[in-house]
Amino acid sequence: MLYLTDIIINRGSKIVFNNLSAKIENSKVTIISGKNGVGKSTLLRAIAGMIPLEKGIVKNFNNEIFKDKIKWGKNLIYIDTKNGLSQDLTVYENLKTWSEMKGWGTSDDDLQKALDSVDMLNHKNLYVSQCSEGLKKRAALSRLYLSFLFDVKFWLLDEPTNELDKKSIILFNKLIKKFLENKGTVLLACHELKLFDFSYELLNLDLLKK
Amino acid sequence: MSLQSSFIQIFISHIKREFLINFRSLVDVISTISFMILIVILFILGIGPFEEKLRLISNAIFWLGLILAIIPSLEKTLQRDYDNGWLDQTITSPTPMEIILLSKSLAYWLLVIIPLVISLPLFIVLLNINLKLIPWLLISILVGGLSISLIGIIGSALTLGAKRGNILLPILIIPLIIPILIFGVGISEAVIINESPIGNLFLLIGFTLIYLVISPFISAFLVRIAISR
Repeated sequence: MLYLTDIIINRGSKIVFNNLSAKIENSKVTIISGKNGVGKSTLLRAIAGMIPLEKGIVKNFNNEIFKDKIKWGKNLIYIDTKNGLSQDLTVYENLKTWSEMKGWGTSDDDLQKALDSVDMLNHKNLYVSQCSEGLKKRAALSRLYLSFLFDVKFWLLDEPTNELDKKSIILFNKLIKKFLENKGTVLLACHELKLFDFSYELLNLDLLKK
Repeated sequence: MSLQSSFIQIFISHIKREFLINFRSLVDVISTISFMILIVILFILGIGPFEEKLRLISNAIFWLGLILAIIPSLEKTLQRDYDNGWLDQTITSPTPMEIILLSKSLAYWLLVIIPLVISLPLFIVLLNINLKLIPWLLISILVGGLSISLIGIIGSALTLGAKRGNILLPILIIPLIIPILIFGVGISEAVIINESPIGNLFLLIGFTLIYLVISPFISAFLVRIAISR
């Protein structure tokens, strides 16, 4: 359970959230919705620990998550629209360096399986600079599979379905369902709710900010 | 479940990643060293065919060439990973930003220093450098080069996301490089006049150690600010 209590976030001189409180349930998908510019990405980045909170706390049960950043970093995967893929490396090398960066000793087999989970095995030796936006997104989402092998409990995904085709969305749904079975918690910012065939909680920022 | 790797393994894997990326686009590796060669050649042509003049300032030319050639490539070291979102990924990982940035500056140092050491004979011929200087020159560029890349990473972090970063960066880091230039040249000058260069060398090492300690913390602090914007 993630508890957000009285959160204030400023970006520059603009106040994005003023005393926002919310509760995100464990082992469930919570979709953050709201109109453009309401602060969906900002909230995700704040929970991921990238944007400092002006005030307020985020608790995972009784632990304040930003007190132990190493533990929190082990516990989450964050993927946003920038993907975090190096243009000069191949899809496979990107996944490999990423898992090494996370500190995971993944075998070649694990990485192959991860790429297969988003149907990227055929493109694994493609340079990211040659990939289309959809392929890049899939290459980034292949990281999600690795969380089944290591103890990751949170996914923070910012518009993960933007460039995906129908087939990839089915694969993405599969990944999420498998993660829910493993007691994972997903926080997702998205506009198109009808793409998903799992049950989810809705966190409507338009309503919460009033 | 596989084992969690230690920070040292993560550190090494980061250096490997930098090497992989930089050797893919080999232009980056070659451009710095060829820029330095060109700067040195321009200096020599500017002086004209007077060996006496060259002998007096050859050390200064060498160091200025190195510093001027490094500066344009510094900006890219972090900017590229900032733009493609890799830094966002590293900040949401269990590895402290300080370790990642230290590995980045060490990788950058190796990427600058290896081509420089390989092409050192060329500079020795071009600048008519005294042969007894060679071991001292080698030590001073190894130590000084480390300093420059540690300072460079601070500058690179400072100008992340800035619109005119490529202009701002030299203005910010050249003052910090001044001690390296002074003691680097000082080592060679001392050897030429048959005095012990140890004093200058220790000062150079001292500055490098100071930068080694403060650079990861300052640059990690700056990167966190850049990401939170």
